[in-house]
Amino acid sequence: MKKTNSVFNRAFTFLVFLFLYAPIFLLIIFSFNQNNSNVAWGGFSFHWYRELFQNRIIMRSLYTTLLVSLLSTVIATIAGTFAAIGFYGLRRRARNALTTVNNIPMMNADIVTGVAMCLFFVGFFHLWSDLAGWINSIQSLVILPTRLTLGFPTLLIAHITFNIPYVLLSVSPKLRQLDKNLIDAAQDLGCTWFQAFYKVILPEIKPGIISGALTAFTMSIDDFIISYFTAGSSSSTLAMTIYGMTKKRVSPEINAISTILFVSVLLLLAVINIREAHMEKVSLRRQAMPATQSASQRKFSPTLRKLAKAAAAFACVGVLIVAGVGAVHNTQQPVVNVCSWGEYIDEELITQFEEETGILVNYQTSESNEALYSLLKSGAGDYDVIVPSDYMISQLIEEGMLEKLDYSKIPNFSLMDDRFKNLPYDPANEYTVPYTWGTVGIIYNTTMVEAPPDSWNVMFDDRYAGNVLMFRNSRDAMAIALLYLGYDLNTTDPTQLRQAADLIADAKSRGVYQAFVMDEIFLKMESGNAAIGPYYAGDYLTMAENNPDLAFVVPKEGSNWFVDAMCVLKDAPHYEEAMAWINFIASTEANLANMDSIWYASPNREALEQYPAYYEGLYDEPLDQETYDIIAAPNEVLDRCQSYVSLPAETRRLYNELWIRLGT
Amino acid sequence: MSKELIRLSDCVVQFDDEIVLDHLNLYINDKEFLTLLGPSGCGKTTTLRIIGGFQKPTSGDVFFDGRRCNDLPPYKRQVNTVFQKYALFTHLNIFENVAFGLRIAKVPESEIARRVEEALELVNLPGYGKRSVSSLSGGQQQRVAIARAIVNRPQVLLLDEPLAALDLKLRKDMQVELKRIQREVGITFIYVTHDQEEALTMSDTVVVMDKGNIQQIGTPEDIYNEPKNAFVADFIGESNIIDATMPEDRVVKMYGKKFPCLDGGFAPNEPVDVVIRPEDIDIVPVEEGQITGAVTEVTFKGMHYDIIVDFNGFKWLIQTTDYSPEGARIGVKIDPDGFHIMRKSQYSGKFGDYSSYSEAYDELNVDADAGMEGEDE
Repeated sequence: MKKTNSVFNRAFTFLVFLFLYAPIFLLIIFSFNQNNSNVAWGGFSFHWYRELFQNRIIMRSLYTTLLVSLLSTVIATIAGTFAAIGFYGLRRRARNALTTVNNIPMMNADIVTGVAMCLFFVGFFHLWSDLAGWINSIQSLVILPTRLTLGFPTLLIAHITFNIPYVLLSVSPKLRQLDKNLIDAAQDLGCTWFQAFYKVILPEIKPGIISGALTAFTMSIDDFIISYFTAGSSSSTLAMTIYGMTKKRVSPEINAISTILFVSVLLLLAVINIREAHMEKVSLRRQAMPATQSASQRKFSPTLRKLAKAAAAFACVGVLIVAGVGAVHNTQQPVVNVCSWGEYIDEELITQFEEETGILVNYQTSESNEALYSLLKSGAGDYDVIVPSDYMISQLIEEGMLEKLDYSKIPNFSLMDDRFKNLPYDPANEYTVPYTWGTVGIIYNTTMVEAPPDSWNVMFDDRYAGNVLMFRNSRDAMAIALLYLGYDLNTTDPTQLRQAADLIADAKSRGVYQAFVMDEIFLKMESGNAAIGPYYAGDYLTMAENNPDLAFVVPKEGSNWFVDAMCVLKDAPHYEEAMAWINFIASTEANLANMDSIWYASPNREALEQYPAYYEGLYDEPLDQETYDIIAAPNEVLDRCQSYVSLPAETRRLYNELWIRLGT
Repeated sequence: MSKELIRLSDCVVQFDDEIVLDHLNLYINDKEFLTLLGPSGCGKTTTLRIIGGFQKPTSGDVFFDGRRCNDLPPYKRQVNTVFQKYALFTHLNIFENVAFGLRIAKVPESEIARRVEEALELVNLPGYGKRSVSSLSGGQQQRVAIARAIVNRPQVLLLDEPLAALDLKLRKDMQVELKRIQREVGITFIYVTHDQEEALTMSDTVVVMDKGNIQQIGTPEDIYNEPKNAFVADFIGESNIIDATMPEDRVVKMYGKKFPCLDGGFAPNEPVDVVIRPEDIDIVPVEEGQITGAVTEVTFKGMHYDIIVDFNGFKWLIQTTDYSPEGARIGVKIDPDGFHIMRKSQYSGKFGDYSSYSEAYDELNVDADAGMEGEDE
């Protein structure tokens, strides 16, 4: 009976551990996969680790993460320890009240803390800008900067703030356990108050301080949400970068960095445990050892200990200096903050630009035009260059949120094909330089559909119910319904719009849609989780690389053709650097590299012409005409396509209303 | 005795509105073992903390060896303290704990080693230097605390209820040990306790305190045999305290009867308190008794019985080796030296009646003692 019980117990334990660790092991295994699949094993390789260390975005965010974690840990540990000592000196009632107050931030939802801090910082910056402006106006001795932005300092402050409670929480009990007379005893034995503090109190609470610091460090490394709201556009932590990368699909690079994170934490834990076990052993041995024998060792151990302490102190100071220099270095280098879409650039270009110009690029991504718009409106998105789509550009111009460009600094603008100049969103072409263009079409899995679709009707049909994906942004989703109904995709007629919304709502209620998605579509289509999904032509080609069963069609009812263009935000802090960036990206070389990397059509005349040859030179095989036609749609396809125009405010409101009612 | 070492002159300590020490005057001689004895909140620990320098008197002066030392911080006084809960440094081993004061004083390493070992030998813990604090028992930790204080060769050692946390057997052993240590090192010990037995066992001088005032100073014998008022009589040992008058010298009148006694010097018919120790009362047959009463309660105590006897509604405690059953009528006889006559004081009528005496009384006492330790700081 007992035996079966123990077998059962073991099996159960094994299952529990399997349940806990299987996902992590899978992740670790696939981080060594040769190919970029998370399903099929292509052989062992360190390929993704190499990629990882060459990925400058990841490396920079790793640096940011380590820097912010270390600095915030050090500062929070010092502040928290003194706060704990202060609490300890209080009367019990005040102390209990304060402890509760201290605990609230830890229990509080991170999202609330994050948003609150973001609001606080932005509010403070507004106040500051008024104050600094006033001070500057009444004197000319010191010129205060009037424009403050979210960035590394705010990130650091946020981390320190949420770390202090953890330090307090682990130091306070140690203090409470102390004998009340300990300070008296030390003073009685000849210590001044300060000596008593650092010879007795500090060593007695040291274990609490160390565990508090370790907790704080882990929390810092771990944090995503609060960082997301306080880091601004110029810095990004590892967690933020990983999150940004997963928008499209979990790439093996992410497996690799996650593996490294996991192993590091494991090592850290192992070190702590071994240290504790060692200390226990030592104290046991000390008890067993006769005093006469150990007397001879007494002379050495304090010296050694002192040496170790000095070494540790030097190491700490060193790290702080490096960190400090790094931070200063960061702030002095010219920078440009760019916000684009996920996997929308050949990252080599960023490195190349930085090397050529010495300007540091903070490259961030946003999910959709609408998300970008609300971010900008909230005042938290502090970018120089953004890459919105046509209709959003006209809206931004209308609202005075863009700065005119200095085309004398962008000679490469002349290389743009005339088709992409003076478009309706920027008739006089004062604000924009086109980045890419393309069409929207249906991506489908040939093994999952009966016949290749050629109409938007598959989006509303029960035939593929549960296997259809739909846009999670109102403009693109509504356009599909409008086109299917035979209406203009820029219609402002409320009846037509309501009809289109009803069509989507009806299909949704019949369970046609598996999900409303943006970049998640990559993973879903590549892995064969969905049969049909509308998306952008360039992205189809990226997906097709990973799943050859996918195909693309621009439906017969017509579709949207879009242009994404680079613009500069009003009052951009790095205007000159922004001009340099835009000119660099507009070059033929950059356009070729981008086109090859992201499969979106270039607006650069030379690049469009040269691409097939460029492709052949790179891969030693001719570029498929069909593929080229999908990248850069030929005129007969473009004829049935239409670009979005900015909608009047009233229609936008209706869009919003209908979209919210739809409840994606 | 030898010369005076410490003098507290008119010391007052006041926290907010609470007077903790009320114009205290006390002098302490060199090399004496002096005990401050009293219940919780009597000001004994505060007195000790003033001598140690942890507390400044609100008013009044403290003299050490003739010099005023009110403002001298603890680390500049030739005084060391043994704290109630030892206050050992757990991050250091025994050797380093004991060596702590010497290291602060920058004593040469070789001398430190020698003196620490001597101190550990003095407290019967030779060779314990490398052990950790947590590996020692409570009694051993207390010895380390003593060694840590003694090793600095202070002129005065302050001990703040050092045995309160130990169990009874260990406490008795340590009492003897402390007395021996004091004799060996030959310095002044100032000892704070609420345990009258401890005070009587070890002290040269006992200072009984209550409510911030000194009630009596004297040798243990004086304190026990000649208590100055009902408080002292009750606090030290067991006492029956009875209202009486002194019609003339050497005669005391209570229950309407006159008894011969040895005291005198009172005004004719002055109202007084009479203390009769329970062990000074002899039980005799009713007909031979000076007064008679009924036994209401008998408790077996090992060496003797505690008997409560009702005399005209006032209950006495008698300790006797003769068993008398509950309900029996007995007579008692008290020798003239069994009476101790005290003048009336603010404590008259508050102590010495055993009407509420019961087994529970003892336990209540123990609880009160336990509570005291915390509050007294």
